[in-house]
Amino acid sequence: MLSYNFKYELKLLLRSRWIQLLSVVLLLLFGFSAFNGMEKVEKRKNDIIAAKLEVEENDKLMLQLLDSVERGLAVSVPRWTIPSNPMAVGNYHPRVAAMEPQPMAFIATGQADLFTHYVKPTVSGDDFALNFTEMTSPVQLLFGSFDLAFVIIYLLPLLIIAFSYNVLSAEKESGSLRLLAAQPIGIQNWVLQKLGLRFFWLAILVITVLTVVLVVLGINPFSEVAIYSGLLGLVLAYMLFWFAVAFLVNLWVGSSAKNAVAMLGLWVVFVLLVPSVLNQLGNTLYPMPSRSLMINEMRSMKAEVTEKQDEILDNFLRDHPEYAINDTTQQRGFYHRYMASQKLVKEEMAPLISSYEEQLRNQQNWIGKFKWLSPAIIAQESLNKMAGTATEDYEGFRKQVVGFAGKWREHLMPFLYNNQDFSQADYDALPRFTYQNETELQFGGLGILLALSLVLFATGIFGYKKLSGAGILDQA
Amino acid sequence: MITKTFLKETKELLREGRVRITVIIVLMLLGVAVWISARQYQNVNAQYAMAKTAERAIWDNQGEKNPHSAAHYGTYAFKPKYPLSLVDQGVDKYAGTSIFLEAHKRNEAQFSAAADQTGLARFGDLTPDFILLFIIPLLIILLGYNSFTKEREMGTLTLLKSQGISSWKWLMGKWIALFFPIFIITALMFLVAGIVLNNLNDFGVFRWDSLLMMFVVYLGYYIIFINIVLLISSVTKKSGISLVVSLSIWILACLAAPKAASNIAESKHPYPTRQEFAANVLKDKKQGLDGHNPWSKEAKLLETQVLQEYGVDSLHQLPFNFDGYRMQKGEEHEAEVYFKHYNYLKEQFTQQSKVYRGLAAISPYLPTRFLSMALAHTDYATHWDFADAAEAYRINAQKFLNDNFAENSSYGEWSYRADAETWKELPAFDYDPPKLESILDQNASNMGILGVWLVASFGILLFTTKTV
Repeated sequence: MLSYNFKYELKLLLRSRWIQLLSVVLLLLFGFSAFNGMEKVEKRKNDIIAAKLEVEENDKLMLQLLDSVERGLAVSVPRWTIPSNPMAVGNYHPRVAAMEPQPMAFIATGQADLFTHYVKPTVSGDDFALNFTEMTSPVQLLFGSFDLAFVIIYLLPLLIIAFSYNVLSAEKESGSLRLLAAQPIGIQNWVLQKLGLRFFWLAILVITVLTVVLVVLGINPFSEVAIYSGLLGLVLAYMLFWFAVAFLVNLWVGSSAKNAVAMLGLWVVFVLLVPSVLNQLGNTLYPMPSRSLMINEMRSMKAEVTEKQDEILDNFLRDHPEYAINDTTQQRGFYHRYMASQKLVKEEMAPLISSYEEQLRNQQNWIGKFKWLSPAIIAQESLNKMAGTATEDYEGFRKQVVGFAGKWREHLMPFLYNNQDFSQADYDALPRFTYQNETELQFGGLGILLALSLVLFATGIFGYKKLSGAGILDQA
Repeated sequence: MITKTFLKETKELLREGRVRITVIIVLMLLGVAVWISARQYQNVNAQYAMAKTAERAIWDNQGEKNPHSAAHYGTYAFKPKYPLSLVDQGVDKYAGTSIFLEAHKRNEAQFSAAADQTGLARFGDLTPDFILLFIIPLLIILLGYNSFTKEREMGTLTLLKSQGISSWKWLMGKWIALFFPIFIITALMFLVAGIVLNNLNDFGVFRWDSLLMMFVVYLGYYIIFINIVLLISSVTKKSGISLVVSLSIWILACLAAPKAASNIAESKHPYPTRQEFAANVLKDKKQGLDGHNPWSKEAKLLETQVLQEYGVDSLHQLPFNFDGYRMQKGEEHEAEVYFKHYNYLKEQFTQQSKVYRGLAAISPYLPTRFLSMALAHTDYATHWDFADAAEAYRINAQKFLNDNFAENSSYGEWSYRADAETWKELPAFDYDPPKLESILDQNASNMGILGVWLVASFGILLFTTKTV
């Protein structure tokens, strides 16, 4: 029976031009979205290269200036920007702390349009006020990006719905169900086979089209075999879930139109409603402390600190006796006081700043607990992680940058407090930033999707037997 | 005949379980959305009021200080939330809420809510605009997809034809039957929103006419959808196909087109990155007067000019402190640089808006979305307006401080401290959003596009149903 079904289905799908139509639609969707993703990644790479180039050129100028200063020549730049002053190096010659795109970054825009991919922390800036958001039109953020993740999560299920909503009902409506009922096969087995074959063909189409699109766009999908197979596995598992939904709906709901309505309702629930409700609940349960009030706090603290600058500096030097020993001049200027105060402000603000991180973590955990309610959330999270554009990736980047900013500051502090000039010889020892991708490839999402699909299929197979005391033909 | 069709269709809708359930679900969602938004609105506004007063107190109580130190110390402009954001949150989540106003620098608005949320925030929120823009069109499809196809499927079409009905009247009956429930739901939602807002009257100025205008825009949007759905129903043979086609159009118009538009707009008219922008500004700044640098070429030039103008031969003889004067001139140069660069951004934004309007040809969602956000004061243009107002205030504040410095001290007197009461003389920052009339004026093209959609969809519907 399976082989009959197989042949019949293939003929049916080819004659009704479903396969041809789907190939074209998939080609267009995957092509356009992958192209968009590539374009974004390309821009991101170029921006980082340009920024690094700029720093390199600036460094050349800095070294020239240092050379002149060391040879006792006059230089024509404002006094406070002469790089023999360590604070001038720290403020006017910052390093680029960049987050290079991961090899599969084109899959999902994720948070990439919201956050910046490189910053240049300076010594005198506030780490917590470092702006990590990118300069983007908020309209674009609102609408989102037409990326592969969008096609997979939003559109692919709709194609599946259009492809499978009337598997059984069409037979009923055309009257061929009675013929079918005379065959030695259980109705749910028959639907299962039919849907299984459609899944099979759609899976082949998706894999082929995706691979072709990537190759045409100049990406070798097999250079990252692990991630690429992870991607394909995830897509197939997500598709499987929707076929499982189709299976249940086909068995239980009546006419073609009703099936379509039911499946669309489920699509709206899983893809649109559950994510937004979960997000809203997460925000309500774990609200972010107000940023405006954080500003107030920071401002009053700074005002307080400014008044007590001298005292703070004294305390700081008491804690760091090494500076008093190494420095013979004991000169204390603006930056000595300022940097000591900044350090204090940073320490005092730390609990408030970490409360943001903690709330974000709480929200993340909350979503983690309930994400199985919507396969769309699972798919989106997994795709973002594969692409290296998930919230966690940017959080990791942020932490690494703040760490680097501290290193940068600490590297230059001894120069400042020892009243030691920065020289050409010190250039090579300047700290540099390299981004470490911390998220490991996980297949947890895939597992949940498979488990969900299995549960649905099992419900269909076993549940239907019990329920269908009344024959399906009665409804026909 | 129109009334008879209308009554029959309405009865049918009322009898059907799916309609009752869906309408109840939509109403429930709307209720929850309004409730959540109202809470959030109150919350944000309470924080806003608090932050604003606290910041002003911090500014006022700086104590004795050199005015230029005060200028560096700076102050903050906070963006208020407007009443109609209850209906449409627009881009509020993605735009910053506070701008730091300091000497020498125009800062961008910081701290957008989206940056403080998980990746899930990008799926969207359960807000009234989500329901108005996405779910109600879906409801229209659900109620109307089989409006004509069912007559075919049940065989009543032949009966109807034998009655000798005018197809125009028949269509009108069906149209009204579909429009009526949508009208009731929408009207109810806007009425509730209006009443809620009217009772929250402690914040912002709520105007019924803006709400009414918004209502009209949404009605237009729904009418377009009704026309499309009926059109599809009248030309397809089967209910299932009619449903699938209508849904494809919904996906295209509401989901795919905006995203595609955003990609096209970005690749055609990109913004610079934040760092690039800062670097460009810095480059231009260096080419002019720096208020802090009395030794630069530009500073020397200014010196000779001023000395000539006042006919004196040393800066000490000037009737004001030249340091303060130079500071102000430097500030003016910097403000110009920022003006230029922000204008470039604005130019990109205008070009991007054109792309969106171009794609509105395939999506009535786009003009509706933009109109609705504009009316709610939650669109990008209002954000720009706010940022510009903050910048104007910053420039004035700098002038106030530099003038104080220049007038009350003598050249080289950096130890000058302004009186502790000085800061109170600076008027507080106050922002009024654009008025309804000017919003409508600015969005005339969006209104036009929506009008064209309305007329065209009606025209095609009338034309094709003649032959049903």
